[in-house]
Amino acid sequence: MLEFKNVSVTVGDREVVRELNLKIAPGELHVLMGPNGSGKSSLLAAAMGLDGYHVTNGDIVLDGQSVLGLSPDKCAKRGMGLAFQHPPSLDGVTYTAFAKAIGAENALEEEAQRLDLAQFADRDLNVGFSGGESKRSEVLKLVLQAPRVMMFDEPESGVDLEHVAVVGQAIKRAVSTETSDAPLRSGIIITHTGLILDHVDTAHGHIISDGRLLHSGDARALFRHVQSHGYRAPAA
Amino acid sequence: MTETSTLNAQDDFQLSNEERAILHDVGYDDETQRSATSILIDRQMRVAQSSHDDVVMMPLAEALRTFDFAQDLMFGQVLAEGNEDLLEISAHMDDPLGHFTWVRPGAKVALPVQSFTVLEMPQGRQFTHDITLIDEGADVEMISGATVPEFVHAGRHVCLSETYMRAGAQSRSVSIEHWGGNMEVRSYSYSQMEKGAHSSSTAISLGTVRDHQAFSHINLGEDAHSVSQSIVLALEGTTKRIDDEITLSARGARSESVTRMVAAGGTIINNAVLIGDAAETTGFLGCDGLKLTESGEIIAVPALRARAEAAQLSHEASVGMVSSEKLGYLMASGLDEDTARGLIVQGFLSLNSAYIPKTVQDRVTEMILQAKSGGM
Repeated sequence: MLEFKNVSVTVGDREVVRELNLKIAPGELHVLMGPNGSGKSSLLAAAMGLDGYHVTNGDIVLDGQSVLGLSPDKCAKRGMGLAFQHPPSLDGVTYTAFAKAIGAENALEEEAQRLDLAQFADRDLNVGFSGGESKRSEVLKLVLQAPRVMMFDEPESGVDLEHVAVVGQAIKRAVSTETSDAPLRSGIIITHTGLILDHVDTAHGHIISDGRLLHSGDARALFRHVQSHGYRAPAA
Repeated sequence: MTETSTLNAQDDFQLSNEERAILHDVGYDDETQRSATSILIDRQMRVAQSSHDDVVMMPLAEALRTFDFAQDLMFGQVLAEGNEDLLEISAHMDDPLGHFTWVRPGAKVALPVQSFTVLEMPQGRQFTHDITLIDEGADVEMISGATVPEFVHAGRHVCLSETYMRAGAQSRSVSIEHWGGNMEVRSYSYSQMEKGAHSSSTAISLGTVRDHQAFSHINLGEDAHSVSQSIVLALEGTTKRIDDEITLSARGARSESVTRMVAAGGTIINNAVLIGDAAETTGFLGCDGLKLTESGEIIAVPALRARAEAAQLSHEASVGMVSSEKLGYLMASGLDEDTARGLIVQGFLSLNSAYIPKTVQDRVTEMILQAKSGGM
């Protein structure tokens, strides 16, 4: 169980998440929707312990234990993983070298093939990738890492329609794959376009605006609401 | 006819296990994996042997007596006057100490040619002169290394290397240097590339060395093409100064040269000059530095001199620390900080040539980790 308890996050001197509460149970896949700058990405970055994202209030708890103050590698060791929205370019670090470093070289070829990235083994990580390639690569990275809590930051933005299905299927498969150390995985997806909803099994949607969680409900119903009314809470 | 050196230790190179171990770290492999080998230890050429009919490998002194053209190659690209180091070397022109490598015209040499210089005597003084001739249309891979045993900290090594690539010759080379902490090293390297010659080279400078100054000059003829990368690590107590000069001296000459520097407490000064001396020449200079610790310094000065119209020259230089964004990205996949840093630095250095020994790659990683933890 991943739980955000009354969490506030600041970046620099700006508060970007305000007293947010959210529970994600094992086996659940949640979708966060919200306008640009609403704090969605900052929430995931803070959960992952990334530099520059400070939790100033509340707690983030994984399986009963706080992850606050942990470095990103410690968060990853505890079972969390993040597919970045804007991954940095790593010149000279090939996908193969990366996969080897995280102990996933045996899975690389097959998983890369599934995401239509079969020729990427010798390419440098995130160097010269198109927008769509970058997103698929981030999903591949998380699939290889196989954490118990998978967080995807806009995995389908910039991806052509054909590959949105590929990305969606990869996320669906990754989240539903059971292993001895992770019998039930869970996930969070940030989406703007909602296209990913056609390819994943999720019942949990949330609208976030101005750093606050405005409303939670059925993901697809919420997305239809957003399409017609914008990022506002539905009338009671 | 195959000229055979008087130094031909056939089955056993008469190397101790310790010598083999330090040579492995700078690229040595046994004779079954190499077409020719020469090993100079202190002031003695211990091995000079070729198993390839078209590769001649022998001490330079012996080459002088065997081939009358060899004398014309000595100091064929540089004058000793005005330089104390070169004067010291030129004083022994009649009995020089160094490697002579000749790849005959048209030879296609499948296995690499290897040559090494070792200083085993503490406080030893070594002045060497190497001549390499890759003849017309020949194609060869070359590995060279210079090193000291762990117990040698102090000494002085001065070397002059002159390489001649005749028309259409091709070479791919890796050279690795690893000296002692209190040593003084001066190296001078001159290369002349004739029409259509092609060279791809990687030079790696590892370890702690009190004062290392390296000068190189490459002169490219018509349609000659040079691709070179240098990798320089400077640990605490190390000063490395590299002065590179590349002259595109005839139509169609091309050069891409990149120096990647990692300062882990030491100082690196890199002056690189690219000279466009003829029309329709193109060249690129890159000087990229990475500082791993607060102490130490990197000075990168790439310069362009266009003397001819339509010489297309460009350069770039960058110096920075390991980005926290990149570290965080890799750490979010479960890599601890040291491993993430090592991966980034290894990527930056592009240690991906098949001929860069695994031991060298591991040593670089080890140095990075030690530098980070203050162990250096």
